[in-house]
Amino acid sequence: MGRRRWGYALSLLIILPGIVTLILNGAAGRGALDWGIDFTGGNFFQWQLQQPFEVGDVRQIVDRFATGQSVIQKSGQEVLVRTRPLPAGTKQALLDAMKARFGSVTVLREDEVGPKIGRELRTIALVAVIVGLALQVIYIGIRFKSIRYAVAADVALLHDLLVVTGVFALTRKEVNSSFVAVLLTVVGYSINDTIVIFDRIRENLAQRTREPFDRLVNRSILEALVRSINTALTTILAIAAVYLFGGSTIHDFAFGLMVGIFTGGYSSILNASPILVDWHLWSERRRRPAAATASPVTVLPGGRRDKRG
Amino acid sequence: MRSHPWLRLSIIFLVAIATFQIAFAPVRIVHWQPEFLAPRLHLNLGLDLQGGSHLVLEAQDSPAGPATPEAVDAALRVIQNRIDQLGVVEPTLERQGSRRIIIELPGIQDPQRAIDLIGKTALLEFVDTGNTPVPEHARWSTDGKTIRLPTPNAQPVPLEKKVILTGADLADAQAGFDQNTGQPIVNFQFKGPGAKTFEQFTASHIGQYLTIVLDNEVISSPVIRTAISGGRGQISGGFHDLTDARTLAVLLRGGALPVPVEVVENRTIGPLLGRDSIERSLRAGWIGGAMVVLFMALYYGFPGVLADVALALYVLLVLGTLVALRATLTLPGIAGIILSVGMAVDANVIIFEKVKEELRAGKTLWAALQSGWNRAFVTIVDSNVTTLLAALVLFVLGSGPIRGFAVTLSIGVLASMYTAITVTRAFVDAAVALGLQRPVTRMAVGEGRAATERT
Repeated sequence: MGRRRWGYALSLLIILPGIVTLILNGAAGRGALDWGIDFTGGNFFQWQLQQPFEVGDVRQIVDRFATGQSVIQKSGQEVLVRTRPLPAGTKQALLDAMKARFGSVTVLREDEVGPKIGRELRTIALVAVIVGLALQVIYIGIRFKSIRYAVAADVALLHDLLVVTGVFALTRKEVNSSFVAVLLTVVGYSINDTIVIFDRIRENLAQRTREPFDRLVNRSILEALVRSINTALTTILAIAAVYLFGGSTIHDFAFGLMVGIFTGGYSSILNASPILVDWHLWSERRRRPAAATASPVTVLPGGRRDKRG
Repeated sequence: MRSHPWLRLSIIFLVAIATFQIAFAPVRIVHWQPEFLAPRLHLNLGLDLQGGSHLVLEAQDSPAGPATPEAVDAALRVIQNRIDQLGVVEPTLERQGSRRIIIELPGIQDPQRAIDLIGKTALLEFVDTGNTPVPEHARWSTDGKTIRLPTPNAQPVPLEKKVILTGADLADAQAGFDQNTGQPIVNFQFKGPGAKTFEQFTASHIGQYLTIVLDNEVISSPVIRTAISGGRGQISGGFHDLTDARTLAVLLRGGALPVPVEVVENRTIGPLLGRDSIERSLRAGWIGGAMVVLFMALYYGFPGVLADVALALYVLLVLGTLVALRATLTLPGIAGIILSVGMAVDANVIIFEKVKEELRAGKTLWAALQSGWNRAFVTIVDSNVTTLLAALVLFVLGSGPIRGFAVTLSIGVLASMYTAITVTRAFVDAAVALGLQRPVTRMAVGEGRAATERT
């Protein structure tokens, strides 16, 4: 626990590139994130072509029908095309043009989202994340009978969400409805992880040892550490299988979950618990300003041990 | 105190058998005789796995009238008729809000045709254009006062749309071929009053043009040669092929939509991709599951293997519950199951770690098991409720596949609590009762690393 500042610094270091990318992307005018058609409205096509092709070939055809920024990706013999909303009829014309150029074109998937639905989905996504966060805070507040635990857990949570969002900004992965599902799952998982540690702190506090709070937290983290690592590991193992073998449709979803579970695991240790300690120390200091300055309890020999776990 | 381990084991065994029967239905009772079938998972697959179209239509206000809920309901019935003609198995249609219709078409082969069929207003009109033949594809304005010819940059020309009869006057329509030209046509038959009007009109307008208009677009503009009695007629021209003619016949038989609709959302998965997704996610599930099982066995030894057996039962429970709830399995739903397998281990890990601590604190194995389990219970409940809360929000606010994810994740979390708290515990207790203390204890001794760290 003596190295709380390192923990904060490391976390900041991890979220910083993501945030910088978000801002740079925003400034460059291509959107802070790569918003998918779920939120912007538009058309998406996933076609399988028989002939070998280059992205440029497909782009030539798509640009004839869809003005503006279309996103075209190649994945094996499949091509994924994302365009702005196309007027009725244009869709069929585009498919006909593709068939004329490439011969056989199999439609694997086709999505069309009207701009109005896009706006609605955006609102729903925002509401979902906010309600999700609020419910967690309320639950922790009730179960631990303290706003401190709730706030500490929430800061760790915001950190996790920022990491996931940042990684999506960095890799320019599509942000769509399933991204929202990723965020909320990460919310659930991260809180789950934080709670196990907090629960340990609560259990140790109940034993009423005369241990200083920061050492107690430190001990609690160590005690819960094996569990934290094992759970994160098995969960990541399972979802990594989905990431590697699940196919292109579920690829980004699994990727987001992996990132979120990873950060959810360490943020409980590096952020949530240190915040709890700092808050405790701060309120102690306010209560007894003289005593706190006389005996600073921030650096203790026990604090070194958390490096090893 | 707890009941006898053997009793608990038998209950668990019975639950497992029952769940297997629910999920895979290998035994069926026919006329009081049991009949054995190959086990098959009786689960509804979502559109993203079996292929199909999810459409959202929004009714638009038109000069004919506003899109009232009644009009939307009427439109829904017309669309239902049209879909029935497509031969889609188990389509679902429902009104959402006051002016939207949600349509799910599982396993559809030609989604584009379905969309054309569903979204068309299909208002057929027979228009008296006097001595003016109107070229195909010319379009009337919505107020019916001017017409725009199908040439580039054409300006609207004033031409009154004098409607004589409409599609509502038709009794039947069938696609066929013209005997002389071999072109696809649609034969139609007017109802009694319509037939009379048709006869009178054709009798008094010989040599003039009767223009046939669909959704304000001209299909053909034939000249009236003789009075037509009997109310029969045909529409020719404007069809690419027989399918085109069939589509129009279907539309005419089903009647026009009382309000125009617009497709505001369309998510279509081809059958190829759906099959591919099932295969891939099954493989991912096996591999992910195997890795988790291996990890538990290697790290925790004998109790880990017991937990693995509990994990297998857990997967069975999740599938059984999904079948019992008639839930729909989606691709994110499968990911949810795999994810929850990883998380199901969590409860076991928490329990094992607590038991280990109790052992280190010097308690006997039996006492350590009991108190470890009791302490772990609170933690497990607390930590799982948070995941359930997140899943709840996804269920309420999400749609389609995302909702499937929320369902499997919630069932997964609940089932994992049950298996870890009841099943793993019964296994370990039974193992101890059987005199297998040594391997159970080894899990604590094996963790020398953690123990020394705490000095």
